[in-house]
Amino acid sequence: MSIEKKDEHDHEAWIEEKDLTPVETTYLTVLLWLDRRFRIVDYLELLENLYYKVNLQMPKSHTEQYNLDNKFWYWYPLYALGSFSTLAYVVAAVSGALLGFYYSPSAATGACDVTGATVSYCSIAFIMSDLNFGFMLRSIHRWAAQVMVAAVFLHMLRVYFTGAYKEPRELNWLLGIVLISLTLGFGYTGYLLPWDQLSYWAGQIGVEMSLSIPFAGEWVAQLVFGGFQPGPATLQRMYILHVFVLPFVVTTLIAIHIGIVWMQGIAEPH
Amino acid sequence: MTDDDTPDDARSDGAGTAIVPPDDEVPTWRERKERKQGLARLTYEYFERSRREDQDLRQESSYVERDVLAFPTWPHEMIRNLAITSFFVGMILFLAATLPPHLEAPANPSKTPAIILPDWYLYWSFGLLKLGPLNPELSILGGQTLMEDRTYGVVANVIVVSAVAIVPFLNKGSARRPVEQPFWAAVGVGGVTLAFTLSALAIQNLVPVGVNLLFDLTFLLPLVTGFLAYAVLRSMREGYMYDLNRRYYRLRPPK
Repeated sequence: MSIEKKDEHDHEAWIEEKDLTPVETTYLTVLLWLDRRFRIVDYLELLENLYYKVNLQMPKSHTEQYNLDNKFWYWYPLYALGSFSTLAYVVAAVSGALLGFYYSPSAATGACDVTGATVSYCSIAFIMSDLNFGFMLRSIHRWAAQVMVAAVFLHMLRVYFTGAYKEPRELNWLLGIVLISLTLGFGYTGYLLPWDQLSYWAGQIGVEMSLSIPFAGEWVAQLVFGGFQPGPATLQRMYILHVFVLPFVVTTLIAIHIGIVWMQGIAEPH
Repeated sequence: MTDDDTPDDARSDGAGTAIVPPDDEVPTWRERKERKQGLARLTYEYFERSRREDQDLRQESSYVERDVLAFPTWPHEMIRNLAITSFFVGMILFLAATLPPHLEAPANPSKTPAIILPDWYLYWSFGLLKLGPLNPELSILGGQTLMEDRTYGVVANVIVVSAVAIVPFLNKGSARRPVEQPFWAAVGVGGVTLAFTLSALAIQNLVPVGVNLLFDLTFLLPLVTGFLAYAVLRSMREGYMYDLNRRYYRLRPPK
């Protein structure tokens, strides 16, 4: 762009002298009005840039270039495991949102006629026995979670045994380890929500594990479990972790993980 | 500076837009770059260099490019993806319909169940919590252990995860196939076996093997499978690498 002033930037006069059709005049006027306020031109330039980049010629993939297809077709199903875990994550998110309509994380007792049952337990019992399609819904949520964890583990093995973690993909490997840990955290927090015997004693193990961390143990137990014994606070915290904190964090990290794969390309064996 | 000095077209106090058209005083981008100091300037210089490097590399390489007119995204690729997606989701629904979960008795702090287990995917971690017998009794501490058994278990978890994390920083190079690097493949096989044996250790009351034997096997089996994998891949490597190198060097002859 030239830094010399071309004219007085009298755009209205410029539109006048161009002798345009009403449609064109309206369009230009609206564009001008918006551009004065939002600098649309900058974004148009970005879009234009993007358009030309997208339409560049794609490089040949490794297997294409070295004609390795005959050798490697049997690897490809293993390359779908990452997508498979993402898919299971989406299924779990949708079914989980539906379950969330009926579940309540309260540890108050006496909501149903099972002795010692909390409200959370009763709401799961309601979902499973009274709610239309509820049993199936919980089953889908649980199986989507199981499948996601399994797919994530197998995905990690595939990446390891095909050497896909090597330079320049170290950071994505580390990100993957964070993601697998968070996935396990997802599973654990969800496991505690029904507040049945298994949940309670799994919570007990969790509390003891965090208590045995040197120096910071008691602080961690307070922060994550809300005390040194599983209780109402534990249930509440697990609920918030499961439906608020982890979904945001994990979704963001999955987006970054996939974005990096997109940028760097899929590492094919050679 | 008073209001009177402000030129009409640069007022930003509510009268008119605040967009200032560039005049002779406004520095160009090049000038801004040259005026930069310190780290910012270094950053610019590095960017220039790396862009230059990319350019040179691109000119040197004989990289083959193809037309975009390859396998069409619509409908071919989309339908393939749709088919795979429906198949996977269908599998999840099928599992959900045939193997529904059950609900245990409600939580009861006064009644410890006979078997306490997390979900299957945490068995390995749970197994690592049972490594008490390996916690060394140090003579320098008068036969005391350095840390409690349960702390030891948590530390073992941290160590396992960090060991997995540093793999890319230890194993470098362009080798991709297990046959090319029998050692790392063997480490992988040993690691997978260790995950399974640790899981077995976690559910020791359900495994029909003595606890002591199970504990020993937990660490011996991974070594055995690791060595086996190493031996097999090592003996495969000769013939395999011959083929691989032949194809590789035919495509990229050494300079």
